Amino acid sequence: MKGSEIGWTKGEELSDDQIPFMVAAAHELKAPLALIRQLSLSLEEGLEGAENQRQMLRQILLTSERGLRLTSDLTRTVRLEDSLFELEPVNARQLCEDVAHELSPLYKACGRELQVVAGKRQLLAVANRDLLRRILVNFSDNALHYADARTPVLIQSAGYQEGQKIRLGVRDYGPAVSSDIWRRLKRNLGASPQAMQNRPASSGLGLYISGQFAEVMHGSIGATRHRDGATFYVDLLASQQMKLL
Amino acid sequence: MKSPQTILVVEDDPWFAKQHLRVLKKANFNTKYATDGIAAIGMLDQELPDAVLLDMFLPGPNAMVLLHEMQSYADLSRLPVIICCGSASNIPLDRLAPYGVVEILDKNTMKPNDIVSAIRRVLL
Repeated sequence: MKGSEIGWTKGEELSDDQIPFMVAAAHELKAPLALIRQLSLSLEEGLEGAENQRQMLRQILLTSERGLRLTSDLTRTVRLEDSLFELEPVNARQLCEDVAHELSPLYKACGRELQVVAGKRQLLAVANRDLLRRILVNFSDNALHYADARTPVLIQSAGYQEGQKIRLGVRDYGPAVSSDIWRRLKRNLGASPQAMQNRPASSGLGLYISGQFAEVMHGSIGATRHRDGATFYVDLLASQQMKLL
Repeated sequence: MKSPQTILVVEDDPWFAKQHLRVLKKANFNTKYATDGIAAIGMLDQELPDAVLLDMFLPGPNAMVLLHEMQSYADLSRLPVIICCGSASNIPLDRLAPYGVVEILDKNTMKPNDIVSAIRRVLL
């Protein structure tokens, strides 16, 4: 299912392909809204102490930002084929640092840490900066659910295929994913979202969106299973600009 | 004085779990918290709570696996379970009643204190 096929005009009936997407989007938006509602109702009672109030307001803020990120990604996905996305050389390390900085309040509120790991060499990926940022934010947000609290989540970038490609990935350390769940996850990676109740405690919507964004940049997403967690990555063409200098 | 009753909360969203724990503590319940079914089984093995508040969609083995497991042991099978999830309207109580589920709460429409009311009804 391409991004443009998700588009829906008032009066049109949803196709069989569009229904799971709509259901997944509704499901993923329902969870943050339900939490915001519960916290707001408790605050409205006015029985919480100052520290609890502060913590709950922070959770409301970060949860609404999470929901807004998802709606913004969904809008982008629907309009992917209507828009021209300029591809340019993007500094991989800088982008990883920007994402880590952007998500640090969320990670801190969850008692977790997001660290950037990058080599000394400067890597330039051919990408649309905004779409690539969204992919990494998606992966990092996903990792937050599964990462062990004692170990940081890592955002990594590295060149491969003799510098022709760049891989940006998010590595989490947590419980091993069983083989059957992993097979299902790999099968559904970037495919139309559907009910998945195991490793992704969600529909796979974030991965589907990331796959669509990667495709627009002539890249692809993938995942590697480790004994102690997983890495979700995006592969992109490397810019040859640096070689010309 | 009667000692406070203990509720095991099984919920994968840490902030939703914290919200439940705050509400239950305010109502003078002891609380325990597990983020997934495997951790929940470990806690149930250590000490029996008075009731379980259970989310349906958990990472790893989901709530149904936990409910099945609980039915395998005489003491665990008698524990009252309250489901608290975002898809309550799709889950018929009569289908889950054989697994010890006594009430289903909808996260999208319930009020924070509904979990306390439900638990008190169950433990009466």
